[in-house]
Amino acid sequence: MTKRRPVKIIRPPSFSIAGFLRDFKGLWLYKDLLYTLSAHRVKVRYKQSVLGIAWAVLQPLSLMLIYTLVFAVFARIPTGGTPYPVMAFTGLLLWTLFSTALTSSTNGLVSHAHLVTKVYFPREILPLTYVVAALFDFAIAALLLAALMVYYHVAPTINLLYAIPIVLILTCFVTAMSLAFSALQVRFRDVGVAMPLLLQLWMFATPVVYPLSAVPQRFQSLYSLNPMVGVVDSFRTVVLNGTAPDLHGLGISAILSIVLLPACYIYFKHVEATLADVI
Amino acid sequence: MIDLSFNRVSKRYRIRHESEETASRHPLIRKWNALWTHPEDFWAVRDVSFDVERGEALGIIGHNGAGKSTILKLLSNITTPTAGEIRINGRLAALIEVGSGFHPELTGRENIYLNGAILGMARSEITKKLESIIEFAGVRQFIDTPVKRFSSGMYVRLGFSIAAHLEPDILLLDEVLAVGDASFQKKCLDRISELKEAGTTIVFISHDLRAVERLCQRVLLLKRGQIVMNGPAKEVIAAYQNDATLSSESVEVHKRGETKEVEIRTLSFLNDNGQMNPVFKTGKPLIARIDFDVHEAVNDAVFSVLLFTSDGESHCELTTEFSRDSLSLQRGKGSIEFRTDELGLLPGVYFTSVHVQQRGAQDVIHYQYKSTTLRVDFDRVVRGNFFLPHDWQVSQVESDEVVELEVQNK
Repeated sequence: MTKRRPVKIIRPPSFSIAGFLRDFKGLWLYKDLLYTLSAHRVKVRYKQSVLGIAWAVLQPLSLMLIYTLVFAVFARIPTGGTPYPVMAFTGLLLWTLFSTALTSSTNGLVSHAHLVTKVYFPREILPLTYVVAALFDFAIAALLLAALMVYYHVAPTINLLYAIPIVLILTCFVTAMSLAFSALQVRFRDVGVAMPLLLQLWMFATPVVYPLSAVPQRFQSLYSLNPMVGVVDSFRTVVLNGTAPDLHGLGISAILSIVLLPACYIYFKHVEATLADVI
Repeated sequence: MIDLSFNRVSKRYRIRHESEETASRHPLIRKWNALWTHPEDFWAVRDVSFDVERGEALGIIGHNGAGKSTILKLLSNITTPTAGEIRINGRLAALIEVGSGFHPELTGRENIYLNGAILGMARSEITKKLESIIEFAGVRQFIDTPVKRFSSGMYVRLGFSIAAHLEPDILLLDEVLAVGDASFQKKCLDRISELKEAGTTIVFISHDLRAVERLCQRVLLLKRGQIVMNGPAKEVIAAYQNDATLSSESVEVHKRGETKEVEIRTLSFLNDNGQMNPVFKTGKPLIARIDFDVHEAVNDAVFSVLLFTSDGESHCELTTEFSRDSLSLQRGKGSIEFRTDELGLLPGVYFTSVHVQQRGAQDVIHYQYKSTTLRVDFDRVVRGNFFLPHDWQVSQVESDEVVELEVQNK
């Protein structure tokens, strides 16, 4: 036989750098599954709904209208010149990506118990597909942001290019969180139950529906330890103000995300080894 | 060339015994209690080593709980071993419960891609095989319909069709052959034979001893997580069957209302020459003999012997119930013989139960369960579920005679 055969060695779980790289390589072999499954997530989500893909836009849009009513019409919080709706929408756009990915992936392993106990594939694919599906929704909703910018006469500048690394950092962070929470959910179903509350609190600890400037100065350093703060604020700066982002805040988010991602992946793989016995 | 090797592999499960009282408590209290109680170790697989050569078909048999499914799970990497090393040389695929990766909302075509990817096929590979998969499953007409509208038969056929197109180097088979109707099973088996002839290494884990013997040259016998026998299929299966006979001790099951005017002493199986427990073969004579003691005279008694398959399902019956002669028993000893000239049973191990009762009565007089087992050995291959005794006759008319007859008629 001329075909080259892969050699696979299964040993008791233990951590090593080589093992970590092997896991990563294994994931690469299954890239087609990641693609197919992610595409199907998107299809299934909208298949039997009347509005279909429009939901990806409607969700942040309706939230924007509600928060505009509350914070701009009733409470009239200062936004420093930018129209409130577009300010809120930039925040909600990123926040929806984060919360959709995290909520759906947390249940990702448990809801596929029938698959996980019957056939092997790198299990991280399950939470990852939800992240990919959320990114797809994000891309659709971003089109509405462009429309809003035209409507409110916000001209993009060269600094808009910063949006690319910012979204990448967010993707890194949400991937890390999705891996960690989906693995935790296997052992502690409390995680899934607590998730809506956690996300609610987390959203108000992030400048999503209010500007960062609304946070009192003395809380700022503690506040910016939340990786979502740097991401959301920088995104808003580069999109709406057209200026370069505050690299200090964004740096904290970037470092935290880059450290958390491998750590969460290792934890996930640790749980994976006995997943089928526990789930 | 060794395709698959188990090197001193063990798998331990930790079991904590929880009394009913503690089980109902809060999880945190249970965690706290667990700190002070020792978990019991359960070794599902212990120190197991074996190799499978390229192109070989290995069978793994054993009672429930012997560790068969754990080995399957370890091989397919669904769970990891506690100790030891498994080396797999080639692409391994497990023929899992078909269709378990289907998504009901997606169409047949989309599900082929999805399920194929889950089983480890690349998209390009699936595209190449798509036509053949649809053809094999026979669902072309519905391929763009969501699978939730499929009949269960179509569902299963599509699932198997995808798996059958995997072309793995090593194929793991579970009890998958036990699903579907007869023609579907035949299709499965044909496809597996094809793969085997093409040089695929096969590991077959099953209760179905006949299927194991047909497919595998070598068989491992597992018992309590360890290999107790490793050798040619025929020998190991025979040993297992004898073992099954030994381990199923005579169980005294008392039926309610047993009156015991008559007591069954033994049930034995004999051949034509009156030889006890010989080798029985399909299509050969068999005599079942019940020896009994009569303590009190009984009018119109009925004797029955029921044969069960190894799964415990009742298979067939020998009985005096339907004869017109009434059977009256006098005090003393006696025996009754049931006889068949051509045994219809296929090879396998059958459990028995014997009972005697009064015709039409609610209560049995005496009942014995699993006191004896009947083992039918392999001889000729019989297709189907049982052997039907038959003879045949040929009649032929030569063609020119037919012509002659017709001429005369004119």
